[in-house]
Amino acid sequence: MLIGAIIAGIVFGLYYTLVGLGLNLVFGVMRIVNLAHGDFLMLGGIAAWWLFTTLGLHPLASAGLVIVAFVLVGLPLYYLVVPRLLRSRDSEMLSLILFFGLSQMIEAVTTIGLGSTERSLPPRLLGVGPIILFGTRLPKAWIFSAAASAIAVLLVYLYLYRTRLGTLTRAVMVSRDEALATGIDVNFVSAVAFGISIALAGVAGVFAPFILGSITPNMGVAINITAFAVIVVGTLGNPLGTLLGGIIYGVSLMLMQTYLSSWANLLPNLLLIAVLLVRPEGILGRRVRRA
Amino acid sequence: MPDPAPLDPSPILRASAIEAGYGRVQVLWGAGLEVRPNESVVLLGANGAGKTTLLKVIVGLLPAWKGSVRLDPDDVTAWRTDRRVRRGLAYMSEIGVFPGLSIDENLRVGGQFIEKSALKHRMAELYADFPDLAHRRGALAGSLSGGQRKMLGIAKALASSPRLLVMDEPSAGLSPLFVGQVIEVLNRFRASGLAMLIAEQNIAFLDLADRVFTLDGGRIRFEGSVAELEADDSLRRTYFGLA
Repeated sequence: MLIGAIIAGIVFGLYYTLVGLGLNLVFGVMRIVNLAHGDFLMLGGIAAWWLFTTLGLHPLASAGLVIVAFVLVGLPLYYLVVPRLLRSRDSEMLSLILFFGLSQMIEAVTTIGLGSTERSLPPRLLGVGPIILFGTRLPKAWIFSAAASAIAVLLVYLYLYRTRLGTLTRAVMVSRDEALATGIDVNFVSAVAFGISIALAGVAGVFAPFILGSITPNMGVAINITAFAVIVVGTLGNPLGTLLGGIIYGVSLMLMQTYLSSWANLLPNLLLIAVLLVRPEGILGRRVRRA
Repeated sequence: MPDPAPLDPSPILRASAIEAGYGRVQVLWGAGLEVRPNESVVLLGANGAGKTTLLKVIVGLLPAWKGSVRLDPDDVTAWRTDRRVRRGLAYMSEIGVFPGLSIDENLRVGGQFIEKSALKHRMAELYADFPDLAHRRGALAGSLSGGQRKMLGIAKALASSPRLLVMDEPSAGLSPLFVGQVIEVLNRFRASGLAMLIAEQNIAFLDLADRVFTLDGGRIRFEGSVAELEADDSLRRTYFGLA
């Protein structure tokens, strides 16, 4: 049972890495918190559900469409709100308020438009029957979602570490002031990072029905808390730390569900409190905030 | 034999009557200076005289309230830093490097606007000029000593093959030994015809100067050669601490 929980935890952890990655990328580059991240994830799930029920589109095709569409939404959203936000005196704090408002708006509009019912997609879309990993039987849909997440994480890694724009993005993460002084077009770099972040949330949403079971318009808040726990555990502002945070979160979640299932929903909060008490700078421990 | 330079060639950089500051606090009160091609200019001033502020206006990190900045042949007063950098300006801040990136990545970021094969060539040149860096290309800049970091800062600024290198206190935080090394390196690049503007309070940098401006209370007090500066009693007392 222990091994099974750990294996399932790693599979879930890859998915949770995807959930947190975009949030952390935006925090790393812009030092703002996008509290509407979970709502964009929800919208990605709604999009996948709608594309399947009306057009019969496979989730993998939906994922491709969602990436394109969400980048196209993310870029104008960036230019509309973020540069103004960054000029303010306390952009980190104000970002919480601004994106909380956006989150509420998205949730309300979605509820008004579609109702608050749970929506799901048939798991057989991602393969029938279990896969056996080290003696543990896991649904194919989980493995598929985890693999898709791993690919997305890998692509972000390649972007950050193997492309010129990615190197500039990391330079902005290291020091925004030095980046400006070096003549990096910080605004453009940030806009691209924001677009990628929204697209990552959308892709995570496409696979949400398979991992989380269903999607509802009000799921954003809970997703935000989970995503926040993942990136705080992994280290704020360090996108690759997200992988560590995601795996720790996934494994802990599965252990909780196996041995203490009624307490499992408490986990993100417990992890947040534990990390903030013991190692507030995150496990990879680079201090990114000026207190 | 190169042609003799014209007596007063048009400057690469001309900042005129700059007024600027932070919030409501005015720091610069009509300061201006020029740098001509192949010329190395030292901007001398004490802490708080406004050196960094003037450099920030010159490179576009701080808006000028009044006055203008020309980067030959354009009026760049309203331009963002990245556009000025594309026109051949390079700025080395007091920090100068990205501690969380490797040496190699720092140079790539410095040469971000250069086309790929040219950048490769440029980096090979810089590694030849800075052999200490060449041995540790993959090391994080944050793991370097203060003196090596400064060398990396210079190399990073030069990665874009600038026409004009603007430096804010290259001596900051360095022991006298390393200050000497920095000056020696800069002297090499000066000999190769690079125009430089160096803001400093360390008079050792006057060895590099073709011309000196002194900044005091946000105003330029003196402009001339090092010999002229030394000949002026009150300036000599202020900057050399001698009677």
